[in-house]
Amino acid sequence: MKALRLGVLSSLVLLACEPPPVFPGADRRQNSRPARVEGTVVVSSAARGNVVVLLFDAARPPPPTGTGRPLTFALVPKEQLFGQVRDFDTGPFTAPFAFSFVNPGQYQVRAFVDANGDFIPWYGVTNEVNTGDVGGAAIDSISKLPLTIDVPVSEDGTPQPATDVPVSIGDTARVPVDRPVFEVAQAGMSVPLNEVTLAGAPLALDLRVRPVNEGAVKQSQPVFLARFIDDNGDGAPDDANGDGVPDMWPRVIVRKLANEAAGVNPLADENDLDRNGVIDETGADYDHVNPSTGATIAADGVPDLVVLAAGINPMDLAPQLLDSMGRVKPTPTPVTKLPIVIRPTALDATDSRRPAPIKGVPEGRYAITVIQQTGQTWKVPNELQDTLAGRFGLPVVSSQTFVVRVGAKP
Amino acid sequence: MTTTSWARLAAGLLLLWATTTLADPRVEARRHFKTGMFLINEGKYDEAIAELLEAYAIKPHPNVLFNVARAHEAAGRPAEAVSFYRRYLDANPPDSDKVRETLAKLEPLVPKKVEPVTVVEPPVKVDPKKVTPVAPAVDEATLARIAALTERLEKAVEAAEQAAERPVEQPAPKSGETPTAPPEDFSVPYEETVVAAARRSQSSLEAPNATTVITGDEIRASGLTSIPEILRRVPGAEVMSMGYSSANISIRGFNQRINNKVLVLVDGRPEYQDFLGVTLWPVVPVGIEEIERIEVIRGPAGALYGANAMLGVVNIITRAPGTGPRAEATGMLGNGNLAGGSFVASGGDAVKFRASVGYQQADKFSRDYAEGRPDVVSAFPEPNLAMRSARANLTTFYAFNKQVSLAASGGVNRAFTEVYGIGLLRNYFLDGLGGYAKVDFTGGPVKARFFWNHLDATSGPQYGVQGQRSLATTLESNVFDAEVLFQQGFELGGRHQLGVGVSGRLKRLAWGYTGSLTEELHGAAFIQDEWKVLSALSIVGSFRIDRHPLIDKGKPGVVPSPRLSLVFTPFEGHAFRGMVASAFRQPTFLESYVNLPIPTPGVTGASVLTQGNRELLPESLLSFELGYRGEAARLGLSWDVAAYLNTVRNLVVLSAVQPLNADQAFDARSQTYLLGRSTFVNDPGSYRAIGGELGLTWNATRGLDVRLSTAMQTVQSVENAAVCGACTQAPAVKVNGGVIYRTPVNLDLSADVSYVTGTTWVEREPSPSDPTQILNVRNALPGFAVINARVAYRLLNDRLTFAVVGQQLGPNHQEHPFGNDINRRVFAQITVQP
Repeated sequence: MKALRLGVLSSLVLLACEPPPVFPGADRRQNSRPARVEGTVVVSSAARGNVVVLLFDAARPPPPTGTGRPLTFALVPKEQLFGQVRDFDTGPFTAPFAFSFVNPGQYQVRAFVDANGDFIPWYGVTNEVNTGDVGGAAIDSISKLPLTIDVPVSEDGTPQPATDVPVSIGDTARVPVDRPVFEVAQAGMSVPLNEVTLAGAPLALDLRVRPVNEGAVKQSQPVFLARFIDDNGDGAPDDANGDGVPDMWPRVIVRKLANEAAGVNPLADENDLDRNGVIDETGADYDHVNPSTGATIAADGVPDLVVLAAGINPMDLAPQLLDSMGRVKPTPTPVTKLPIVIRPTALDATDSRRPAPIKGVPEGRYAITVIQQTGQTWKVPNELQDTLAGRFGLPVVSSQTFVVRVGAKP
Repeated sequence: MTTTSWARLAAGLLLLWATTTLADPRVEARRHFKTGMFLINEGKYDEAIAELLEAYAIKPHPNVLFNVARAHEAAGRPAEAVSFYRRYLDANPPDSDKVRETLAKLEPLVPKKVEPVTVVEPPVKVDPKKVTPVAPAVDEATLARIAALTERLEKAVEAAEQAAERPVEQPAPKSGETPTAPPEDFSVPYEETVVAAARRSQSSLEAPNATTVITGDEIRASGLTSIPEILRRVPGAEVMSMGYSSANISIRGFNQRINNKVLVLVDGRPEYQDFLGVTLWPVVPVGIEEIERIEVIRGPAGALYGANAMLGVVNIITRAPGTGPRAEATGMLGNGNLAGGSFVASGGDAVKFRASVGYQQADKFSRDYAEGRPDVVSAFPEPNLAMRSARANLTTFYAFNKQVSLAASGGVNRAFTEVYGIGLLRNYFLDGLGGYAKVDFTGGPVKARFFWNHLDATSGPQYGVQGQRSLATTLESNVFDAEVLFQQGFELGGRHQLGVGVSGRLKRLAWGYTGSLTEELHGAAFIQDEWKVLSALSIVGSFRIDRHPLIDKGKPGVVPSPRLSLVFTPFEGHAFRGMVASAFRQPTFLESYVNLPIPTPGVTGASVLTQGNRELLPESLLSFELGYRGEAARLGLSWDVAAYLNTVRNLVVLSAVQPLNADQAFDARSQTYLLGRSTFVNDPGSYRAIGGELGLTWNATRGLDVRLSTAMQTVQSVENAAVCGACTQAPAVKVNGGVIYRTPVNLDLSADVSYVTGTTWVEREPSPSDPTQILNVRNALPGFAVINARVAYRLLNDRLTFAVVGQQLGPNHQEHPFGNDINRRVFAQITVQP
């Protein structure tokens, strides 16, 4: 009986002390099981500013190696990192950073000191580095390549945080130029265009640098850093895809924009309506063409990433990019004009290494993006166009409305 | 089962069914009183006296003595009549002169050797003209009836005398909103009275609004430990528990996280926290054991209470100083780390007092996140804790004379509670010190009141995101309020009861979410006249005007709140009511002044700016209501039916996230980039709520009370908006039923069940694919049932009570899609009245 009483008593006590169960409600965050990435930023530079730390999917790295967009970003305040040190002191300065709610996977981290304080993540025209900013990344200390950060899952399914990630920022990665801000004109013409129509013949256009130094946009000295690619070091420009056109920097991409509709961002790419850089699960899908036979391959139900065949016309630039011996210059050459050619050929670049021809050229609007070797990019149309700039408090630059149109205007 | 077992069971059932104890004393006493009065009219005086004395034994009331005296007088027993009239005079009634005249006529008829007071002679001595003569040769049935009646009379007398001599169980006064004191009440005995509906004591039948009264006895019999749980039994009330200590109360729709449309008062002092517009229940410095009754006005009461009494008023009335048990101690222990205790003392001679201390704690029903997660960490050292409250209260009363009195009270509460935030915010904690001081002065027709409400707390999200900025903050709120009220009755084409008052309120708030010290000065004036045009018809007109510093698009302005009610009582115990009224809710400090960058989940460097708006219009309600309240007192049955049409405009809501200009994109204070701004705005749409409510209470037999209520409603968008959160968030049907049975073997049983139909909640959440996008997500919530029960055993003449209480005994459920998984709580309770 005594034992029974003791048992009842202890049961009551245990019952009273039992912790509440874990119960996620309908809140999506409570139902997710993410981890985090955290580490330390080490800055060795006299540059001062907030440090912006960006997290990328390792499978979709940022330019110049890829076209990925950051999944998230963190900010290390200038005061936290540099405190009250003298301006010319190069450190090193250290401060922690963290990314919260990171799902299991593999990632890369980039970072930069926003020395001129003009970084705004929300607009394409302000969300990259420019002159004076100092770049950096989480780098493998041995290979000196970007570090792939693993956020693993333990055996019981619990995500594990990635901690002690070192991010190094140094003056060796100081950004030398502004972004390649450009406007578009017919080849050889001076008047910038707001729109051009691609019909059956290739289009020859000139991309000309266009300084914008007003309001939140501080790109006073834009320039194209042009260079033939010579990865094999033989002094001759490479032609990796064998199309007979030498590979070179910058790269030009002409991508189809989403069709204009209510509720759709006019700057959104087709099949990337949420603008996260990842092809949407549903969207426009086109018939393809077998390049060998010319036969039609019916649409496969998977949304396509439609680009037009386009590139820089190297002929005009070649004299500036080759030395007196006719060899590829090892360093890029700043130029203010890029002649480009857009052909009436559409490709599905979902697999960027093997673009697949699409039957016909899908009608709609196309945007031009220039990617520098530094990783800096510029795209038209952008937020500086007439109809958007006022909404965001950005300066209006009419030429930034430009689109390549295929087919009639709706 | 053996014969012996059957016999024992039968005996047990008989004992259970025996009728010697009560459930709700007022209801029981009222039934006996009404029956007694009916029997007097029938000329059955002895039976009438027995009923009246039983009523008196349950709840002493001077009017019962008067009616007993009348019955004795009519029965031709002047000695007994004189005795009861004298006892009636002892209570100093307003009709003393008239009674003395009666006594003067009766005293000569009394034989010189009169047995004192309450010796009741056998029925054979009664007036043969009035009572059935008892012949010497009567049949056995008649003899048995007489014997039973005699025995009953004797018991009733004995009980009544005990009740009269019991010093500590004085009835609570009904004369005002505050526990003033003890002047004797000579209104109709055992009427359900309310003070909240007209700011004076009146019968529920006369109330110009739909009202529900929950008595302290009913509350204690339920064993419930939280006021929101108790309010589930109010027809039309919507109780949404987010967690153990975080409940939102609404009436007739429009519930939400941080509900701000119902005004909660304690003895007329608001518990409405102006910074959020919410009632923090664990911070209320009143224990369940101190409550005399809870009055609920179901519908607008802005004409009397001004701002925030939009959908209704919950007025918690505590026991008056010097009433109730002289001392009472309670203790409880249960699962979920539920523990608590309290001690209340009441007494005093010239200066009457009630003093109390109490402590309670409980864990959450469930936690949102587990320990040891790589992404989220508990921001409070006791992550399981849902509430903790350590409180103390002192209430005093002193009457200089019959006209002039002074009541002073004060209390503190060191409390921890959960608060479930709005918009992107989730479960918060609030840990701090609440307190109040209050003075009530009554000088004839003039009443003056002053109070100070104080809250000093730290607050923040219960779960912090690792690597993200914390939103923990501090707040200090002080509210000073003064009011003068003049109430006077007069005759002018019928009886008028006029009330005129003015009030002023100063609010001072220092809160991290609103910046530096913020002050608001409010003023109000109100007038009300209850005009009894005919004996069966009353017209109640009320008008209040409130001055608010921001109400006119950011500038000072006034808001009128009129109410017109007609109360028609064609028969005794039956009242029909029609009412039209408007009410409003003023924007809270949060809605007017907040300036808070809220971290965007998953994007460490980004925030969404939530901003107040000083140009908000007040939320407004226009209400039409028809009601019928009736009773069959002898059957112990009463009912309340109401139908309403409410139109709600200018609801204050958070806007969608709007992009900011590029030059505002960086917030230096939070060192984050602002994704956009969400501002409090007035919803351009309006909403129409149509519904009906039915409440039934039945004092079925002695000791047994049964209660049933239901409410049905539909909320529609007047403009047929495609997304209408207010429409889908209001449950279509609510049902509540309960039973209290106090058995004659000192065993008390009570149970209540609530059922609420399913709803769909539209809530804001970050997009899973892009956390910088904020979406309105529809979350379906199935219907749910709440079951509570209590079993108690009383010992030592009710001085010691053991109880086991089960709360939330039904299936686990949520009452909001983001709320806790509400699960069973069982605890043991002991109550001692030394």
